[in-house]
Amino acid sequence: MVAGFNWTFPLACLLVGVTAVLLCFGALVTTYDAAMAVPDWPATYGHNMFLFPFADWFYGPWDLFLEHGHRLLGATVGLITLALATLVWLREPNATVRGLVAAAVLLVVVQGALGGARVLLDDKTVAKVHACTGPLFFAVAVAIAALTGRGATAASASGGPALRVAVALLVAAYVQLVAGAQLRHLDAAVVTPVMFRWLVAIHLAGAAAVAGLSWAAVPLCRSQGSGAAGRWAVVIAALVACQLALGVGAWFVSWGVPSGLLPAAWMPNEPLAARSGRGAAVVTGHVVLGMLILGGSVALAMATGLFARHPARATA
Amino acid sequence: MTTMKIIPACRLLIAGLCVAAAVGCGKTPPAYFRPNMVEATKQRLTADQEKQVATILLAMFGTPDDPVCLPETGLDEAKLRLAAGPVRSDIVGRKNGLYREHCAHCHGVTGDALGPTAAFLNPYPRDYRPGVFKFKSTERADKPTHADLVRLLHNGVPGTSMPSFALLPAVQVEALVEYVKYLSMRGETELALMRAFFELDDDAQGKLPETREFLVDETLSPVAEKWRAAADAQIQVPPMPADIDMVASIAKGRELFYGDKANCVKCHGVTGLGDGQANDYDDWNKAIVEIGKELASGTTKAREASTAGMSPEELSEHRAQLAWLDKFGKVLDGDALEPRTIPPRNLRHGIYRGGRRPIDLYYRIHAGINGAPMPAAKGTVPPEDIWHIVNYIRSLPYGLDGELGADKPMLARDRF
Repeated sequence: MVAGFNWTFPLACLLVGVTAVLLCFGALVTTYDAAMAVPDWPATYGHNMFLFPFADWFYGPWDLFLEHGHRLLGATVGLITLALATLVWLREPNATVRGLVAAAVLLVVVQGALGGARVLLDDKTVAKVHACTGPLFFAVAVAIAALTGRGATAASASGGPALRVAVALLVAAYVQLVAGAQLRHLDAAVVTPVMFRWLVAIHLAGAAAVAGLSWAAVPLCRSQGSGAAGRWAVVIAALVACQLALGVGAWFVSWGVPSGLLPAAWMPNEPLAARSGRGAAVVTGHVVLGMLILGGSVALAMATGLFARHPARATA
Repeated sequence: MTTMKIIPACRLLIAGLCVAAAVGCGKTPPAYFRPNMVEATKQRLTADQEKQVATILLAMFGTPDDPVCLPETGLDEAKLRLAAGPVRSDIVGRKNGLYREHCAHCHGVTGDALGPTAAFLNPYPRDYRPGVFKFKSTERADKPTHADLVRLLHNGVPGTSMPSFALLPAVQVEALVEYVKYLSMRGETELALMRAFFELDDDAQGKLPETREFLVDETLSPVAEKWRAAADAQIQVPPMPADIDMVASIAKGRELFYGDKANCVKCHGVTGLGDGQANDYDDWNKAIVEIGKELASGTTKAREASTAGMSPEELSEHRAQLAWLDKFGKVLDGDALEPRTIPPRNLRHGIYRGGRRPIDLYYRIHAGINGAPMPAAKGTVPPEDIWHIVNYIRSLPYGLDGELGADKPMLARDRF
């Protein structure tokens, strides 16, 4: 071990990476309606979660693979968060980092409990809250990684319009994920066509807001922010463009091309395929990309001065 | 200073948690079957009568989570239980709650076509409750066979939002078909019960008899019998002659298409683009349109009526009528979608909703499409001529040079 090496940053990066995989599994669980593939919690079919036979999981039914895999990844993220919290508590003097890590511990515990409650109560409302808390935790993990990175102390705090746009983008990206979670966890027994129409309208308005803010951020960050801010802004703008295409694709693979939208000769003459791998990839990809945009927005906000860490004040 | 820095992080975290919490303010209530309020209001049922219908249906059909299946329905309870209830699966991957996983978001938990996404779909999803199905191998007024519904689920309905479930295991498709039949029988029974109040005599005091004879023998069994009889009601299709001269057959089909007997041109248009008469409604939408018209004229009449010369009884009746009209308007807002016309099919796309096999087109032409304005050719066009029309229709997506020419209509003069 290298004496004095800052292990916080690699551990935070590991947390971000494993959380991203966890969120992919979570998105797939929703896509395949696999949340109730394991009826008990925290055990898995009576086994201790970690001792559930590997072959039964890995070579078992797809739904079980997703749900149990989601649980294992969740537990892994919890353990990494605790290790990071211990390290930060012992080594990290920065109060913002300490606060964010405390928030991460709180969120990971709440999120685990929500996951358990979703299964034990078999309740879609809890599932929706669970789906909204996941990205929030991811955002906090990205913030920790960004703050503990080598470039954090060097980041110039540009503030001003760039920071305001970046924070607005961060909020819009999160609200958009919340709106998306409502559409993904549709409870046909509760949601009426009128409510669904409103949810779609909110999601579309959110998409317009995220697109507008992300594209407005590019010139602002390139002119006012640091080099990192400019690069993040470009990456996010590109991701948002892909996300819009995926959003349209998600609609098409779920409900087909709206009649009258395309010239008649372009309309597909094959029916949609329920439960196709392509459809699942598009819909899940839309969710995962939304989370990546949120993570990118956190990095952008920090690069433009959110939680700016001035070396002189850091140890104050 | 450090405290100052932590505040924005906390603010964001708290805001995020508030948003997360706001999306779920209470536990999801258990799923329930929505009463057919349009019919209940149309029949002017009282709250007690609505409650009696709900109680009877609960006893006869159970709930979405716990369906009941009387032997008279002929349904397989094991299959129903696979499709009913919330979505879950066991350790070997057997899945329950298939209907709510795959169908309910469009067709609704009750099968009333009022699922969350319904308003966005064009055409609207099918409302199973009237027991009317379009694409089948039986005569127009008959129910589809079990195989018809299995094929429809397997193939989907091209050109609509109804997907193909070909990737689902056969046992799951079977369960879904059984559940669709269950919802349809429940819906038809509900309609029959609501309409039965109208025929009650004064001795009944506005209550339906709760006897087995009335509920099962007179109400449920006729509905179930129609489903049972479907297997024997399949259209007998004479095979298309193997040595048929296709060019001559297409020419003959074209003649029939534009002729008075088949008169397909009336709706499908001279170009076959579906640009003929296009202002009609299917039965589901027509019912709402007619109720809407009745409401509009009733409201105008009631508002224009002078109450000055009315007796107390007439005044009370007048007020009851106004209250009913007001209630019906609200029911329509919540329990019915905006009516849409049904455009005739564009025959030049090569997209056939009920299946693209020649025999599928034969069924459509022979029996018409139940619930839609498409009439039956049976009785006016001989069976062998129906094959000619089928061959002509199958040639329409292609231009004269044999190239796929969808949306490139022939000139009208070339057709006559």
